[in-house]
Amino acid sequence: MKVRSFGLCLYLKGLEKTNSMAKIDLSINGQSKTIDVDPQMPLLWAIRDFVGLTGTKFGCGIAQCGACTVYMDGKPSRSCVIPTASAVDKKITTIEGLSENNDHPVQLAWIAEQVPQCGYCQSGQIMSAAALLKDNPNPTDEEIDQAMSTVICRCGTYPRIKKAIKESLNL
Amino acid sequence: MSSLTGLYFVVGCQSEGTNSNKISASVRSNVIDTKLNQFVSIGNDNSITLFNHRPEMGQGTFQSIPMIIAEELEVDIDKVIVRQAEANRALYGNQMVVGSRSIQTEFEKLRTMGATAREMLKQAAANKWGVSIEECTASKGTIVNSSGEILKYGELVKDAGSVKVPENPPLKKRAEFKVIGTSVARMDIPLKTNGKAKFGMDMSVSGMLYASVERSPVFLGTVTSIDESETLKVPGVKHVFKTSRQVYGNNREGVAVLAENYWAALQGRKKLKVEWDNKGLDKISGETIMKDSYKVAKNDGVELFGKGNAAQSFSNADQVIESAYETPYQAHVPMEPMNATVSIEEDRAEFWGSTQNPNGMKSLIAKKYNLSENAVKINYTFLGGGFGRRSMTDVVEEAADLSFQSKKPVKVIWTREDDQTQGPFRACSLNICKAVMGNNGNIEALEHKVIAQEIRNQTGDNMKAGRQLMGGITTDYLIPNLSVKGVLRKRHVPISYWRAVYHSTNPFAHECFIDELAHRANKDPLTFRLDMLENPRFRRVLTEIGKATNWYAPQIEGVGKGIAMVERSGAHFAMVVEVRKKDNKVIPTKITTVLDLGICINPDTVKAQTEGSIVMGLGAVYAGLTLSNGAMVEQNFNSYPLLTFGQCPEIETIILESDAAPDGAGESGLPTVAPAFVNAIFDLTGKRIRKLPLSMDDLSL
Repeated sequence: MKVRSFGLCLYLKGLEKTNSMAKIDLSINGQSKTIDVDPQMPLLWAIRDFVGLTGTKFGCGIAQCGACTVYMDGKPSRSCVIPTASAVDKKITTIEGLSENNDHPVQLAWIAEQVPQCGYCQSGQIMSAAALLKDNPNPTDEEIDQAMSTVICRCGTYPRIKKAIKESLNL
Repeated sequence: MSSLTGLYFVVGCQSEGTNSNKISASVRSNVIDTKLNQFVSIGNDNSITLFNHRPEMGQGTFQSIPMIIAEELEVDIDKVIVRQAEANRALYGNQMVVGSRSIQTEFEKLRTMGATAREMLKQAAANKWGVSIEECTASKGTIVNSSGEILKYGELVKDAGSVKVPENPPLKKRAEFKVIGTSVARMDIPLKTNGKAKFGMDMSVSGMLYASVERSPVFLGTVTSIDESETLKVPGVKHVFKTSRQVYGNNREGVAVLAENYWAALQGRKKLKVEWDNKGLDKISGETIMKDSYKVAKNDGVELFGKGNAAQSFSNADQVIESAYETPYQAHVPMEPMNATVSIEEDRAEFWGSTQNPNGMKSLIAKKYNLSENAVKINYTFLGGGFGRRSMTDVVEEAADLSFQSKKPVKVIWTREDDQTQGPFRACSLNICKAVMGNNGNIEALEHKVIAQEIRNQTGDNMKAGRQLMGGITTDYLIPNLSVKGVLRKRHVPISYWRAVYHSTNPFAHECFIDELAHRANKDPLTFRLDMLENPRFRRVLTEIGKATNWYAPQIEGVGKGIAMVERSGAHFAMVVEVRKKDNKVIPTKITTVLDLGICINPDTVKAQTEGSIVMGLGAVYAGLTLSNGAMVEQNFNSYPLLTFGQCPEIETIILESDAAPDGAGESGLPTVAPAFVNAIFDLTGKRIRKLPLSMDDLSL
């Protein structure tokens, strides 16, 4: 992602003494998108309201619930507190880019174990579980607890998430 | 689980930018559909479309409602298309999802609808073949006659549409069920694993403005002055409007910032300067409320249930045992923060979003803007959780008002802080339980007094407590002198229906008190309960949980067990919580529930609901909201922690076979968690806990 003509925008807008808008190129799920936003706006809103990918969710706005989890260069990140500008030159992956046909082992395990209820937090759950298993293909129970305890589910799908993670180890 | 091949799904929002499934439209472009009734539509390509008339918030009726129709219609459940039905009270009756009632109240109606369509298809086939309807049988989307001839539904549906609608179509017997009672995979789940499921938060309408609303943290505060000069300088901000919404009879004011995008609205809101008249309500705190509750607990209140003469027993008794139990306010906190998108135009209006109450939305908008209900279109999406909060229409009222003022479609989004600090909340309560024990170790007299706010009675002068207040207090124990009383309090804190409602607080007191009395009588708590019960359903769930948890086995060092039982929405259930010592703390390690809820439509969904209820109930044992200076202190998940993955114990749910009509399943397990957990802590440590949430001290050894 590159911040394009940042200075020019500042110059033009500076006449009104307002904060800056900037044309920003985002690399999301392998595609480039150019958006015109306040560079301080959290990446979450850039992805949802400007790029139009709504699978990444707003839950708390303070990086406490994990519903907004995306990957930046492969690392799970809380998009609700990351300024859009600081995603410069990073490859962003959202739930829509996790697999082409909803067939990532974690997604398949989620369907097999019938994990989601309301489903709102599940993008964050799946992205977190997939990141855990990528870095650590054989996590212990404690490691699973640690990784998944940062993503909140109000419907209480935790017992099924546990089963699904264990099942995806065998897929 | 059966496979999901050939399934596709259409959500009710067909508006611009919100159509979630374009494939369905192209696949079905040349198909002629015939509606046999408001729930059943069949295409000439043999496709079966079933209309689900209730919103889906995670409870699973998106799957179990079509299962009931498909059962009688004799079609394969994994080949049907499910569509969300329009919001239309005349066609579908009440579509609100509350109190675990969707299956309980709709079961017979849905079966009848499926059976009616089936009989019409049979009649059409009989006419075609020139045979009587008795010679025709429906099976797997076809009608077969006694000579073995077969016609598919798609070949019959056009004619079936014009045969006489049968008045009393025969319904299948339970032994004939093929779909009901099986764990069919839910059709909404694949959409909830790849980001495709659409929630209210995901709705977008061309030309809409985003709004964020500043409100007084002291709930009934009114606006005295607004300075929006700095707000209007924020790029993207378009308007600042005063707005209001009704919350159970109280007008609640706010100041809204409308902008081209949500971030700009939030930035503008930070720069607003609003002064509030809080009318002295900022002197109220949780402590002053509880102090008042103890004071009015001395009043008699209203007797909500009575048998024998409890008062006389108490005055004659040498010893009266008394315990007081406190529960805190709780927020609903669905993971999807509250939001609504509304467009109010001169002669029509439209809503997009997540609601438990589509008919209520429609009526509210129609009435307020003087429109006929036909001129109001309600597009209800999946809900990112409801738990009672989304049965209310206040947020849509706010969005509608802002659309009316700005003459543009408006999407209002509450922040998490708005959600947690504005409520409405689950009521806090004080429960005072008194008892007299007989010489035989049985309970001679019991009085349970509930001191709390009442949801349906939050304003005005009526101070009479209603029966709602005694939710979850069983009157089935054979206690000769029993009295349940309510003392109503009105407070400035708004309250509302929270999953299981008063069943989420009263049983904490009642089932803990029964446990205390069992201990005093030197009896096993399970035996003590069984000895006081004739109700066969309670006896059955208690007996079965005893077996499932090996209740009467000798106690293991370092392990405690607690029991509780409750009836909610017709479902009878018993629960055992097992606790263990770990790192000098008590933690719940296993929760077992035995349920008798009549005919079970989808056992896997019922288990999921029970798991969810337990997690929510357990969260409310560990955390609560505190009121200080008239406002809620905890703003977000960092100070009001919900139960996490790592805190979740092993959960086992056992559903008992039954021929009885289905009961509600969406709250089973929640009412019993707190008492069974606390009773288990007593079993392990000897500490009686009578106040929630638990303190660190309660859990340390």
